[in-house]
Amino acid sequence: MGSDAPLIEVHELSRSFGGIRALDSVSFAVQSGERRAVIGPNGAGKTTLFNVLTGEIAPSGGSVRVAGDDITRLRPWQRARRGIARMYQRNELFAPLAARENVALAVSARAGPYRFVGAPSPAESAFADELLTRVGLAGREGVPARALSHGERRQLELAVALAQNPRVLLLDEPTAGMSPAETARITELIAGLDRTLTIVIVEHDMDVVFRLADRVSVLHEGRVIADGTAADVRGDTRVNEVYLGKVVVR
Amino acid sequence: MSAELLFQQALNGLSFGALLFILAAGLSLVFGMMDVVNLAHGAFYMLGAYLALSVVQLTGSFWVAMLAAPLALGLLGLILEPLLLRRLRGRHLDQVLLTIGVSLIVVDQIGVVWGREVRSLAAPAGLDGSVALFGGDYPVYRLFVIGLGIALAAVVTLVYRRTALGMHIRAGVEDAQMLGALGVDIDRLFALTFAAGAALAGLAGVVAAPVFGLQPGMDVDALLYSLVVVVVGGLGTLGGAVVGSVLIGPADTFGKVLFQEFALAVIFAIVALVLLLRPTGLLGRIRIAR
Amino acid sequence: MRRVFIWPAAAIGAAALVTFPYWTAEWESSRFATTVLRDILVFAIFALSLDLLVGRAGMPSLGHAAFFGAGAYAAGVATQRLGTDQLPLTLGAAALVAAALALLIGTLVVRSEGIFFLMLTLAFAQIVFAIAFQWTSVTGGSNGLAGIARPFLGGIDLNPPDRMYVLVSATFLAVVLLVRAVAGSPYGRVLVGIRENERRMRALGYDTARIRLSAFVLAGSIAGIAGALSAYSLRFVSAQDVGIGTSIRAFVMVLVGGAGTLAGPVIGAAVVLYVERILSSAVPVAETVLGLLFVAFVLLARRGIVGIGGAAWARMRR
Repeated sequence: MGSDAPLIEVHELSRSFGGIRALDSVSFAVQSGERRAVIGPNGAGKTTLFNVLTGEIAPSGGSVRVAGDDITRLRPWQRARRGIARMYQRNELFAPLAARENVALAVSARAGPYRFVGAPSPAESAFADELLTRVGLAGREGVPARALSHGERRQLELAVALAQNPRVLLLDEPTAGMSPAETARITELIAGLDRTLTIVIVEHDMDVVFRLADRVSVLHEGRVIADGTAADVRGDTRVNEVYLGKVVVR
Repeated sequence: MSAELLFQQALNGLSFGALLFILAAGLSLVFGMMDVVNLAHGAFYMLGAYLALSVVQLTGSFWVAMLAAPLALGLLGLILEPLLLRRLRGRHLDQVLLTIGVSLIVVDQIGVVWGREVRSLAAPAGLDGSVALFGGDYPVYRLFVIGLGIALAAVVTLVYRRTALGMHIRAGVEDAQMLGALGVDIDRLFALTFAAGAALAGLAGVVAAPVFGLQPGMDVDALLYSLVVVVVGGLGTLGGAVVGSVLIGPADTFGKVLFQEFALAVIFAIVALVLLLRPTGLLGRIRIAR
Repeated sequence: MRRVFIWPAAAIGAAALVTFPYWTAEWESSRFATTVLRDILVFAIFALSLDLLVGRAGMPSLGHAAFFGAGAYAAGVATQRLGTDQLPLTLGAAALVAAALALLIGTLVVRSEGIFFLMLTLAFAQIVFAIAFQWTSVTGGSNGLAGIARPFLGGIDLNPPDRMYVLVSATFLAVVLLVRAVAGSPYGRVLVGIRENERRMRALGYDTARIRLSAFVLAGSIAGIAGALSAYSLRFVSAQDVGIGTSIRAFVMVLVGGAGTLAGPVIGAAVVLYVERILSSAVPVAETVLGLLFVAFVLLARRGIVGIGGAAWARMRR
C-alpha cells in the first residue's frame, strides 16, 4: 500500500454561480492522517469547497479523489458511505429529537435503513452515549437538540459526524459562536482524535488553526494562494496582505 | 385529419391555451411571491363563473360580469389573505393546507347558493356567432378568448416589467424577506398579490363559462389544469405560465381528438417527462419551502 | 403501574371491537351502528396509511386516494371479471396493484419535497382519476363497478354484514399493529430523520430518495387494502374513490385527528364520518363543516385532537 499516496486529491476544482467564480482551479492534496486547515477571508470559497467535497454541489470542472477513487460524480449519501463525514457550519441536527437519538441515526446508517422490527440495539445505544460523553455532553443525552445551548449543539454536531466512524472528517468552522472555554475544549477534543482519521478544517480562529493544523491551505477569491505548514503560511507575504491584514517587514 | 379540421383544432388548442394562461398566471404569481400554492384557485375560478351567472341574470350584460366577478374575487382574496394566510406566515405547507379548507367551504357554499345542476352561460351578444375561416365556420367567441389571452399576457408583462408595482413583485418573487427588510410593506404586497391571483382565477371562470358551462367538479378540473401548466412551464414565473399553457392547451386538445379516452394519459406523459428531465419545470425556479 | 394495564385493556378493547355486531345485537340501531363503525374502520386504515407518509416521513401527499381506488378497482375487477372469489387472492391483488401504481407514481414524485411534492401527488392522482373515469371497459367509467360480490375466506362466505364487519375490524387491528411496529422500528426512526432533516440524513449515508419511495409504496399498499375492503363493504367502486375528494378527506382525518400518532388518524376518521353521515342529515353542509374544521385546526390546533388531548393531559399533571 502506497502510504505516500495522498488520501484526498482535489484537482483543478472549479465552480461558478452565474458570473461568480466561487472556486477557480483549486488543487491540493491531503495525506492520510493529516490535519489540514483551509483558511481565507469571507467569500473565499471555503464552504463551496466543502459542499463540492461532500457532493451537495456539483463542480463545473475538476475532480475529487479519495483513496484513489474518483468520487466527483457520487451523491452525498454515497460519499458518506465511503467514509466522508461533515460537521456543518450552521448546525444540521434533528431538532425535536434527543441528543442520543441524533447520534443514533448516524450510528444506524451503517446497518442500513430497512430494519422493520426491533428497537435500537444496546450496542448502538452504548456507543452513542459513549460518544456523547467524549464530546462533553454527558448527562444531556435525553435533551432534545433544540433545547441545547449553542455550544452544546456544536458538540452534538461533532458527535454526529464522529458517529459515522469516518475516514475523512470535514469540519466547517467547528468553533463558530463558541465561548473561549468551549472553544478550548472542542479544540483539544479534535486534537486528541486518532490519526487514522484525516481531518480538513475550515476555521477563522487562527489560534485554533495553529494548534491543530499540520498544513494550511489559503483560499482567496476561489483560488489557492498559499499551501504549506502553519509556520510557512504565517510568514507568507501575500497571505498576510490579503487575509491577516498585516504587512510583513523583512 | 383534413386540413380544415386540423386548423379548427389548432384554434381550439390556442383558445384553450389562452384560457389556461389566464387561469394559471394567478396561481404562478401567488406561488412565486408567497411560496403558497393556492389550492382554492379552482374554487375561485368556479366562484367567478357562478357570480358571472348571477350578474348576467341581474344586469343582462356579460361585460359587466367580466368586470364584476374578478373584482369580487379580488375583494375576497384581499379579505382572506390577512384574515387567514397571514397568521401562518412562514409556514408554507400549512398555508397550502389552509387553502384546501377554504376550497371545501367555497365549493360547498356555491352548491348551496346556486344549486348543483349543470348550468350554462351564453356568450355575449356580438361574440356569439361564427365567422367563416378557411373553409369552415369558427365560433367568434373562441377567437375573442385567444385575443384576450394575448392581450392579458401583454398587459401583465408590461406591468411586471415596467411599473413600480411590477418591480416590487419581481423583487418579492426573488426574495420577499429582503424586500421587507428594505422597507417595502410586505403585508400589503402579499395581500394585493393574493387578491390579484384570485381575480385572475375569477376572470378565467367568467371567460371559460360560455365555452365549458358550469357544473360541480369544475373547480377540480381547473385546479388540475393550472397545476399541470405551472409544473410543466415552471412554477413561480409568468413566462412559465405562458410556456406551459402554450404547450398544454394544444396538447390536450389534440390529445382528446386523437386518443379520446386516454388524452389525459398524454398529459401525464408530458408532465412525467418534464419532471424527469427538469424537476423545476421548463422555466421554473423552485425554492425549498417547508 | 399503568403499563401493566395497557396490554390486557387493549386486548379486551380489541375483542370488543371485533365482536361489536354480536354484543350489540339487541340494540335497535345495531345494523346502522355496525355499518358506520365498519366504514369508520375502513377509512381509519386508509388514514393510518396516509399518516405513514404525512405524519412520519413528512411527505404531504394529496393523491393518496389513487392507491385506495386502485385497490378497490382491483378487488372489484378480480371478483367480477376474473371470477376470483377467495379473499387472500383478491386482497393480495389489491395490495399488489396499489403497490405497483405507487411505485410508478412514487418514482416520479419522490425527489421533490414539501409543496412541490404535494402538488405532484395531486396532479398524478387526478390523472389516475381521469383514466378511471374514461377507461369504461375496465372501470365501468362514470358508472363504476356495482354489485361486487363479497369474497369467501376458505369456505366461509363473507356476505353477511356481521362477517364483513369482522373482516374489516380484524384487518384494522392488524394494520394498527403493523403501523405501530413500523413506527417504532429503526426504519420508522429513519423516516422521522428524513422528515426532520433530509439533508443531514443524506450526509449520514442514507439514500433518502429510495427510502421515501419505499415508504410511499408501503403506504400505497395499505391504502389499496383499505380500498378493497371498501369495495366489498359497499359492493361498489366508482371513480370518486380515486378522486381528489377522497384524498382530501383522508388528509383532513389525519390532520384533525393528529398526525404522527397512532390514535390520531383513527379519531380523525371517526370525526369526519360522523360529520358526513350523522351531522349532515341534520344540517346539509357537511363539506363546509369539514372545511371549517380543517381551517380551524390548521390555524389553532396543528397537532390535532390528539395534540389537544396531550396538552390538556400535560396541564392536568402539573
